[in-house]
Formats: sequence, C-alpha cells, structure tokens
Amino acid sequence: MTLHLTRVCVGVGAKSIIAPFTLSIGAGEITTLMGPSGSGKSSLLAYIAGDLPHPLTASGKVELNGVDLANIRPELRRVGRLFQDDLLFPHLTVGENLLFGVPRGNASRRRETMLLALQEAALAGFEDRAPHTLSGGQRARVSLMRTLLAEPYCMLLDEPFNKLDSELRETMRTYVFNNLRAKGIPCLLVTHDVADAPRGGAVYLINRAGVLEHA
Amino acid sequence: MARTLRHVNHRLKALGGLLPLGAMWILPLSAGLAAALTSTFDAAVWAALFTHPQIFPALALSLTTGSASMILSTLLAFLIVAGLHRVTALQTWMGGFLAVPHLAFAVGFSFLIMPSGLLARVVGVFGDWAAPPQWITTQDPLGLSLIVALVLKEVPFVTWLTVGLMARRDVSQMLEAQSRIGHSLGHGAASLWLRVFIPQILPRMRWPLLIVWIYGASVVDMAIAIGPTQPPPLAVIIWSDLNSADQAINARGSVGAVFLTLVLAALAVLFAGLTRLLKPTFRSFLVSGPSVEAVPVRSARGLLMAIAAVYLIVIMLLAIMSFGSLWPFPDLWPSQFQVMAWEHLWDAPEPLFNSLTLALGSMITALFLAILWFEEVSARFDRYLLAAAVVALALPSLLIAEGQYLVFLKSGLNGTWWGVYLAHLSPVFAYVFIVLSGPYRAFDPRYRSVSLGLNTNNWRFWTAIKLPIMKPALTAAAAVGIGVSIAQFESTQLIASGRLSTLNLEAVTLSSGGNRQLLAMYSLLLMIIPFCAFLAASRTERRLQ
Repeated sequence: MTLHLTRVCVGVGAKSIIAPFTLSIGAGEITTLMGPSGSGKSSLLAYIAGDLPHPLTASGKVELNGVDLANIRPELRRVGRLFQDDLLFPHLTVGENLLFGVPRGNASRRRETMLLALQEAALAGFEDRAPHTLSGGQRARVSLMRTLLAEPYCMLLDEPFNKLDSELRETMRTYVFNNLRAKGIPCLLVTHDVADAPRGGAVYLINRAGVLEHA
Repeated sequence: MARTLRHVNHRLKALGGLLPLGAMWILPLSAGLAAALTSTFDAAVWAALFTHPQIFPALALSLTTGSASMILSTLLAFLIVAGLHRVTALQTWMGGFLAVPHLAFAVGFSFLIMPSGLLARVVGVFGDWAAPPQWITTQDPLGLSLIVALVLKEVPFVTWLTVGLMARRDVSQMLEAQSRIGHSLGHGAASLWLRVFIPQILPRMRWPLLIVWIYGASVVDMAIAIGPTQPPPLAVIIWSDLNSADQAINARGSVGAVFLTLVLAALAVLFAGLTRLLKPTFRSFLVSGPSVEAVPVRSARGLLMAIAAVYLIVIMLLAIMSFGSLWPFPDLWPSQFQVMAWEHLWDAPEPLFNSLTLALGSMITALFLAILWFEEVSARFDRYLLAAAVVALALPSLLIAEGQYLVFLKSGLNGTWWGVYLAHLSPVFAYVFIVLSGPYRAFDPRYRSVSLGLNTNNWRFWTAIKLPIMKPALTAAAAVGIGVSIAQFESTQLIASGRLSTLNLEAVTLSSGGNRQLLAMYSLLLMIIPFCAFLAASRTERRLQ
C-alpha cells in the first residue's frame, strides 16, 4: 500500500498557502508534516480525504495504491482519519461504534471482528458501554480501532494526541504507531508538536512561504 | 441587614415577573383545564358517549389522520432537509409557508382538488369534459384529502424545526465532524442521514412531533373544511356536541373532549413503549455496515418545488375566486368579476378588526410576559415554563377551549373581546415563549457589564443595546404570535358565543356551503395578515445581517 502525492498544493481562493510538493508514503511508513496552525495542514488532509470545505482550494494528483482519487467520492476512498477529538458517535455503544465501519457481511463474523478489536485495545467487555463513560485514553483507542476496522488503505492523523494529557500522550503515540506499522498502512501525520513525530519516519516542515522543507 | 433586604428585593422582583404571567396565562389555562376535566364525572354521560353510533369509526378516522399526517410529513421533511440543508434560503421559504394558517390553506386546497376545482378543469381541457367529474376528492370518506392537506401544511413546520435545530452552532459542528468521520468509514450521505443524523435529531424533536400528531388527530376547522362527513373525525362530532343547545348533548361533548385527550395520551405512552421494544431492530440497522448510497437530491428538490407550487396556486386561486362571481365548470378563468366580497368586507369590517386587534393584543401581551419572565426570573427555571408551554400546545385545543368556556361563563367573560383575548393568549404565549427562549438566553450577559461600566443605566442598556440585539428574535416571535392568534378557531367560537366574529370564524362557517367569493376573501385575508408579519420579521433579520 502506498500514498502518492504529486505536485499537490493548497490555497484559499487565489492565495496559495502550501506550495506544490511531491511526496510518497510506503506501506507502514509514517510521514510527519509540521506547521503552525493556519498553515493549511488540516486542509491538505481534507483534500486527500475528498471533503475540502469551501472557500479552500487544492490541486495536484493524489494516488492511493496506484489509483487516482480525483473523481472518487470520499466514502469510497478508504482513507482512514483520526482527529483531535475521538468523535465516537454518542448514540451508539462502544461496540456499535466499532461495528459502524466494518464492511458488510456475515453478522456474527462482523461481531467477532469487533470483539477481537476490543481485546486488542485492552478493552474486552466494554462493548455495551456508552462512549462517554470511558476515559479519554480508552476513547482514543476505540476511535483508532474503529478507523482500522473499516480497513483503510491509508491513514490521515490530524493532531490526534493534542487533547490527551501528557502522560497518556506518549503511551498513545506508541500504541497508534505500532498498530499502523504492524498493519502496513501508509500514514500522514500533521502536528505542531515535534514530539508527536515517530522515530524513523520522514519529517517535513511547512515554512513561512508555504514550502515543505525536510526537518 | 442590607443583604437580607437585597434578598427580599430579589424575591419581590421575581414575584413581579411571575404575577402577571400567573394571572394572564397560568390561571386561565389551568382553571380551564381543571373545569374541562371535572365536568366529566357523570357516568351516564360517558354511557351516552359510548352509545353514540359513530364514535369508534370517528375515533379511528382521527387516529389515522393524525398518525398518517405526522409520519408522512416527518419523512418528507427529512428528505427535503437531507437533500437541501445547505440551501440557506430553505428556512426562510419554510417560514413563509408556515405563516399560512391551516384553515386558509385547506380552503384554497379544496378549491384546487374538488370535482369542479382547478385541477379537474385543467385535466378536463384534455378530456373534453363538460361536467365536473365524479371525483370524491374533498371530504372523501377515508379522509385522504384531509391527510394530504395536513401533510402539505406540516412538512414546512417539521422542515423548519429540523433546519433550525441543525443550524445551532453546537449541533452543526457536531454533524459536520461526524460526517467527515462517517465518510472516512465508508458511509455515503444517505447512510449517514439514516444511521447518524436522524437517530440523534429525532429524539430532540419528539415534543414538536407530538404536537403535530395531536393537532392532526384533533383539528376541527380544517376537518370541517376538507375532512370526511359520514362519519367525520371524532373532534368534529365533539365540536358539534359542544355547540349544541341541548344540555345533555353538550355534556356528551365535554366528556368526548376528555375522552379524545385520554386516548391520545394513552397512545402516546404506548408508542413510547413500542419504540423501546423495537429498539433492537433499529440498532441492528444502525450498525449493519457502510453503504454508499447518495441522498436523492433530485427527489428532494422536486418535492420542495411541488409544495411551493401548491402554495402559490392556492394563494392565487383564493385571490381570483374572491373576485370571480361567475366561473362555469370547464372554464379555466372566471367569466365575470365583482368586488362584491371586498365591498362586503368594507361594509362589515368587524371580523377583520377583531382578528387584527386580538392578534396584536395577544402578541404584545405575550411578548411583554415573556420578556418580564426572562428579565426577572433565573434561566434555570425556564424548563418548567417550557414544559408548561409544551403541554398547553400538546393538549387538544378543543379541551382547553371547552374548559375556558366553562370558567369564563362564571366570570362573565364569554362573549367579550377580553375573554377571547385571554383565550388566545394561552397558545400565543406558549409559542412566543418557546421561540424566544433560545435566543433570549443566548444573550451574552457580559454586554451588560461592559455597558454599565460605560456609565449607562439599566434602562439605557436595555433600550440601546439589548433591544437592538434581540430585535430579530423578538420580531420573529411577534410574527409567530400573530399567526397563532389569527388561526385560533375552537376557543374563539366558544368564548365569542356568537357575540363577536373573526376572519377564521367567518371562513369556517362559509366553508360548509356558503358563498365561495366570501369564503375565498376571508381565507385570503387569513393568509395575508400572518404573511405580512412574517415578511416584516424576515426583513428585520436581513437588515441586521
């Protein structure tokens, strides 16, 4: 699995905020993009996922596993996302949240997949709990598992550790990165905290001119 | 000492906010309710009710009308919102449709669909029809025309509610974020609506939907104009009983109103239980996995256009018919015009005058009472008054009207303008308070601290700062209040006791076989007044934007 960005750029109206760049992320690689808030990094992720809000504009080629995503609807792109907030659906239980993205098929097999994921997240027995009864760290793990169960071809992480307290943050980073590497999913992480970047991954910085620099 | 004094002062202020409200709204409402309920302890009257030959078919008709109109209008409204919620004008459009009173719409709609109506004439052009077809399109025995008219009237209401709910900043941000995550998990827009948005929105709409359901099951004026007659819905039977000069039949009507209310309440509780029972089925649907279906935007747009077209045709038809004195069947256009109806209005302006003064009087009082409450009573008590307002609106107006009639009889208010005004205040205040409570409490109290720091006094702050900021909400509430008062039928008729008339009463009387020109004229006026109020309100809003 690879995510390939060719001459991708982001702007607001006619104004450019990220200059064209080219980037390739291979299976299990985690590439970090650093920049202050307002530098356009979240918009870049929205462009890749296919839901860039108006008045933002972006262009360039996005290929996932060799397929050009240009005319593919967001729900068909298989681009997994994690945000600052866990965004667990409040009207569903933990187990139902996990099932939400599991591809259609045999109901009991889907349930097994869900239970296994809970076990993997060290949350066995939590399936009938309401999301708001879980701790922040537990919810973050459910959120990651929910995204992975939808079997994404790549992952976009938008400051996913930002709202966790500092103790939890380190544990969560290790947990997320290990998981993504083990599953061989290419991953693009945007953050303004250098500590978020995993060891061994490529790190880029968006400078004041909107140009990507190797850090 | 000073502290206790201040404490007492606070209490007095709160009391000052409550007293007028208690005297003008809570007391007439609760006394009416108590009177309606206590007038029904006679077992013989209950027996008379249950031996009425039409009671059960009529009840079945009421329940199907209410349920079908509520369910259909909710489904169609959700289709419109799902397809077109990004259209910013949607709420304004819906507000305009909302301003049209139920009865006026039903009258115009029946002019459209009845055998000699415009629809038959247009179809007849192709079929070379010489006489009206044998359609049973209005007053059909199953009440289908009543249901369609109710749906056309409630879709704008439910759409307006849903859009309003979704436009709230916390809700819209939540839904936006959830739609991103939902798409990334492989769900298309239709699936997101069915599995994520509606399950979260619907519980917040249960009270308004309950009101829609009870309204459809207990409406009188609309049912007289377009509903079935043999048997009519139960509310119409009760209504004619209540208007009877015979005391025994009158008593049967009182019992009937309580009976209908009890049945509706019992069914509401049963329905709540049923949804709990069906929950596992719904839940397994919620998590049955991603599907990529898109929302049928075209159907949504088509539906909205169709509804808008019906409203436009209805308004134009009423306007033409108020002038057309001779309009033989297959013709598409009247062959003779007269200003007879409008001359009649000039000669007998009393119904118009009463409608206007009642609407303005009750609206202004309701605004005054609501503002007094918001200014003097802490926000944490709002939910009690909100609950009371919802109850006041959810109870069949038949029941409240009957109870207030009994109370006002003793206090000599029946047959007076003041009596009708007090009766109108019950629903008018309830709506005004509900519409105003959100925006009024959202007012940032820091404005006050800032302003008082700038050497202004309380009064200056209120008139120079708070009033202008609250103006769009106040004018919107005023428009709603006017619309609600104009549309009141049951309480107006009973408490006016034939001694004063309104546009609504005239239209209802004429709708069962009176002069059509006059009927069209009164119905048109019924529409124009709230519509003007709505236009004024939306202009205020736009100016500030």
